[in-house]
Amino acid sequence: MLISVVVALYSMTCIGFIGYLFTRNKRVAIGGRILFILSVTAHLIFTIGLSLKMQQIPVSSPPQAMNMMVLFASVVFTFLIWKRLTTVLAAFFLPIATFALVLIAPSVSLDPGIFVESFRYWHLLHTLSVIAGEAFLVVAFITSVVYLIHERIIKKGAIHSMVSSLPPLAVLDKILYTCLSSGFIAITIGMILGALWTSSLDLEYAHIAPKILSGILTWFVFAFSVHQRFAIRWRGRRTAIITIIGFSVMIIGFIAINLAYPHAHGIGLIP
Amino acid sequence: MKLIGCISINHRTASVDLREKICVEPEHIREILEKDYESYTLNTCNRSEIYFRGMNQDIIYNLLSRVSGVSQETIRGSSEYFEGIEAVRHLFRVAAGLDSLVIGESQILGQVKDSYRDCLAAETTGTFLNKALHRAFRTAKRIRTETDIGRYPVSIASEAVELACHIFGDISASTALIIGAGDMASIAAKRLAGRGVNKMVVINRTHRAACDLARELGAVPLPFDSLETELATCDIVISSTGATTPIITKEMIENIMKKRRNRSIFIIDIAVPRDVEPDVGKCYNCYLYDIDSLKSIVDRHFSLRKEQTSQALAIIETELGRFEKWLWALNTHTTISDLFSLVDTYIQEQLDVMALGEKEAAAAEKTLRTALRRFVHRPVSFLKTHPGIDYIEHTRRLFQLDEDYQDRHKG
Repeated sequence: MLISVVVALYSMTCIGFIGYLFTRNKRVAIGGRILFILSVTAHLIFTIGLSLKMQQIPVSSPPQAMNMMVLFASVVFTFLIWKRLTTVLAAFFLPIATFALVLIAPSVSLDPGIFVESFRYWHLLHTLSVIAGEAFLVVAFITSVVYLIHERIIKKGAIHSMVSSLPPLAVLDKILYTCLSSGFIAITIGMILGALWTSSLDLEYAHIAPKILSGILTWFVFAFSVHQRFAIRWRGRRTAIITIIGFSVMIIGFIAINLAYPHAHGIGLIP
Repeated sequence: MKLIGCISINHRTASVDLREKICVEPEHIREILEKDYESYTLNTCNRSEIYFRGMNQDIIYNLLSRVSGVSQETIRGSSEYFEGIEAVRHLFRVAAGLDSLVIGESQILGQVKDSYRDCLAAETTGTFLNKALHRAFRTAKRIRTETDIGRYPVSIASEAVELACHIFGDISASTALIIGAGDMASIAAKRLAGRGVNKMVVINRTHRAACDLARELGAVPLPFDSLETELATCDIVISSTGATTPIITKEMIENIMKKRRNRSIFIIDIAVPRDVEPDVGKCYNCYLYDIDSLKSIVDRHFSLRKEQTSQALAIIETELGRFEKWLWALNTHTTISDLFSLVDTYIQEQLDVMALGEKEAAAAEKTLRTALRRFVHRPVSFLKTHPGIDYIEHTRRLFQLDEDYQDRHKG
């Protein structure tokens, strides 16, 4: 029931921010911010409720992981919408977030109950870190798309009212840099914790699971992007493009591999 | 009315490549100017125009072709020709900024005035063009004060600053490099200074000019040799020199971007001919705009200004009507008739003040009429024997026979 309220709130906020994108009306922005706070609060309450019901952090199934990722990304956007220059980014994030929530709403509350035995702190921290990293990548992806749109339009010299409300390129680049750095750290920690977790289970790797492979691939994209930023001083467009590639890898890993291997990493954790 | 002609090569009719070749100075016109001929030349980054009276348009096309080295056919195909009242209307539109790339921009009025000063110094203008230009200034001023056309900041300089804000956000942390110390560079630099740019550097081939502009802006003047060094550190570059070949090349920017560690650089090239190679815009994290590419940007405010255009055009038509009236009055008979009408007006005013009886009023009127008619007899006789338009114009000015002279002396 509460998830329906969350979806409805997200939908309303989405409409509000799209309206702001085209009108640049301050009142619409204020209304959008209030709705956004309400949406994230409702989402948080729903997730806490689900945790209490499941007696663990709800990340046991792909819909729950997706739910958590949307929540994390929304929390990041809560900070971004508070600044005048970056408020409009929510108009690009919310349609994706709303669509994701609509997709997972029917199944998010179902408890697969497969990790109960294997639940350890390592697992919890590993999952949260990885999801946080992926949420940062979602924010970086949105920022990259907006960056490329804005840059293209600036290069063409065709600034019009909608685009004039987009954040300046330097601001987008800074957000991109912050998200990639934070995401890289989070995913790196998540991968280390994942390794510790699996080793604590005294299991043997039968093979490299596709999900692990996709995780490693995503990590490499992050690592490459961060390296290019620091060592080669890539900025702006190139970073945005590599982020979009990284996001695509992550999405393939998250959706396709989760559909094929819904239960963890295929390393013998299923009871 | 086939008195004034105008040949206009502007942003609508010719590309920047052609416009940058065509630039006729008053000195060029002086060579072909004969007695009673008049001419006014206007050269800006968006237009080269010649207004003339007495001459045939073919002479002007021939001159343009000779000065620019471009064939007459090309110039004819890339220009507009206005004649008579249409030429005056065009002048009014240009001075008011209605024909500008950025509708309603105010810089053009200053440029029209500067060109007029040059023409006055070269003695190429006369009664007709002087009057038309003064009327154009007045029209432009009216449009600016009576409409909202100047409310939306859409000059090339302000558009440049807005673009910089789209790239850098808060430009108070940015450093600006101004190349050239001409008017356009100065205007753009002042706009940047007004938005609180962190630091400004002025570079010019003539170091003294750089020092003068830098003093005015609170900037740092540097010699032209330091161009590459400064390009490596500055974020915003505004170039407006009189150089005939590009001073910033693609190769130079590619080398500089390495030193800049790929930090974005924003270059506005408002010079004609261009100071920056067009390929520079293809460099990574380099944003280049020349005069033509700014055209698409200013379209954003175009619709807002367009709403005000009809009001501005109405003012132009009113002023044009007054100009036509002046033109119509510019003959001996009309001027003499106006002088006698003035006499009648004065007599009536005096009689009204004196408030005499019927008999006394008739006597007073007779005395006043005789006195005033004797007073105007000499100018009238002079006009009859010297019917030149200069004398007619001077008489009209002396006796304030036209509306604008009257307006000027009110209060």
